[in-house]
Amino acid sequence: MAKLSLNGLSKRFGDLEVLREINVEIGSGGFISLVGPSGCGKTTLLRIVAGLEPATSGAVLLDGRTVDAPGRDRGFVFQSDNLLPWRTVFDNAIIGPEIAGRAGAAEKARIRDLLRLVGLKGFESYFPRQLSGGMRQRVNLARALAIDPDILLMDEPFSALDAQTREIMQTELMRIWEEGRKTVLFVTHQIDEAVFLSDRVLVLGRRPGRIGEAIDIALPRPRALAIKRAQKFVAYVDRIWRLIEDDVRASVIEEHA
Amino acid sequence: MATIESSSPDEVRPAPRAPAYPRARLRGMEFAGLLSIATGLALWEFFSRVVVANALFLAAPTQIFAAIYQLAIGGQLGPHIAISAAEFAIGYGIASLLGIMIGFVMASSELGKKILQPWIAGLYATPTIALAPLFILWLGIGIWSKVLVVVFLVLFPVTINTEAGLRTTSARLIEMLRSFGATPRQIFFKLSLPSATPFILAGLKLGIGRGLIGVVVAELFGSRAGLGRLISQSADGFNMPELFAGVVILAVAGIVMTAGFTWLERVLVPWTRD
Repeated sequence: MAKLSLNGLSKRFGDLEVLREINVEIGSGGFISLVGPSGCGKTTLLRIVAGLEPATSGAVLLDGRTVDAPGRDRGFVFQSDNLLPWRTVFDNAIIGPEIAGRAGAAEKARIRDLLRLVGLKGFESYFPRQLSGGMRQRVNLARALAIDPDILLMDEPFSALDAQTREIMQTELMRIWEEGRKTVLFVTHQIDEAVFLSDRVLVLGRRPGRIGEAIDIALPRPRALAIKRAQKFVAYVDRIWRLIEDDVRASVIEEHA
Repeated sequence: MATIESSSPDEVRPAPRAPAYPRARLRGMEFAGLLSIATGLALWEFFSRVVVANALFLAAPTQIFAAIYQLAIGGQLGPHIAISAAEFAIGYGIASLLGIMIGFVMASSELGKKILQPWIAGLYATPTIALAPLFILWLGIGIWSKVLVVVFLVLFPVTINTEAGLRTTSARLIEMLRSFGATPRQIFFKLSLPSATPFILAGLKLGIGRGLIGVVVAELFGSRAGLGRLISQSADGFNMPELFAGVVILAVAGIVMTAGFTWLERVLVPWTRD
């Protein structure tokens, strides 16, 4: 049975049709990316899965159960880190269990382990304003992992970082993911990021968003940054780029019109 | 395989941001402040003793401090301060609690806002201090008429700031808490309230000056004791040193309380500094 199924998911904002008839099945433990030009509705799709946005029609099924509200079975990693500025790294990371009313000693120990896993050991009592953008995103990730979700939903988490930090964070994410192999749905507009991270890349066409193609990435794991220069890697990027090129051009023209 | 070790995070920035001025320079600037005050007092002293040279029109700082000392050892100053302080404290306390509560109601209920908004906005813009004689007529010459004046003056900045603070809660952060299944109540206590705290503190700070003015002006209209009473008595008797004594004590109270709030802001809402 699929971990996550999207059955005929459609979304309209008034007259604007954002998503049309999205049908996706995602197996357990896979790393799936969703790429597409800006304005194709990929973030909206992720927000619907998270339960932060209602679908106009269709359903989201997680392990066969319909989900239509936020829940502890899904962890959301936001594009902007959304940390509470008055809370320390540790207190930010534990907010999920705290909201669920289960921030006991065991959870606290687990959060400490998680912060070590994401590379923040020694920074537990720092405040967000004392951290760099990359480190804030590590907290963002630890916070989502802290509720031990069935699936991790990541909304362009590295898009605000500079190019070098982004590459480091990609390898870090891979390292962390290899530890637990959670199912991940990762939204990005960066094709090379999607190819580097994913088992499968779903290409979303321009408004109204539809799944154009699903490309399985048959690159060996664990993957090092050097793989980005491999011919096979470049071929994947090229192929996906050609799939969305016309849509990207159209959306760029639209934005500048 | 080029796995990055977990103990080596990207660009670490462990130290809090450096102050805008180096410490030595900061001390220099504080010194400049003290020097400015000292120069001002010296000029004032010179002007009042040499240029005006008439205690009926202007009292010199030394005369004012002498008057404060005389009033203090004569036992008159204590009761005046106590009465004014009580009026201020009670009025300010009531206004703060009430203001924060009304601000909550306005921020959390659209209907509440619709009902209260015109009154709050209207009364904030009204010089309610002019109603002090009426309050004295209602509540008598004792402290309660003054308390009411203080409440009227302090209430509105606190209410308006509380409401604005709660309303400006970041939509992104609300969404983050919602994604973890937070209830509206949890969102309020874990997010709205702390993020409104800097605004509430600013409103309370604004209320200090208004409250002190309220106490004095209300006492000028009619009272048995208090610093306003001391000022009006001194004015009637053309005793400029004592008049200024009252004013100086009020000024010091205002400065001290405002500085206290600035300190409180540093402790309670350190994240707003940069």
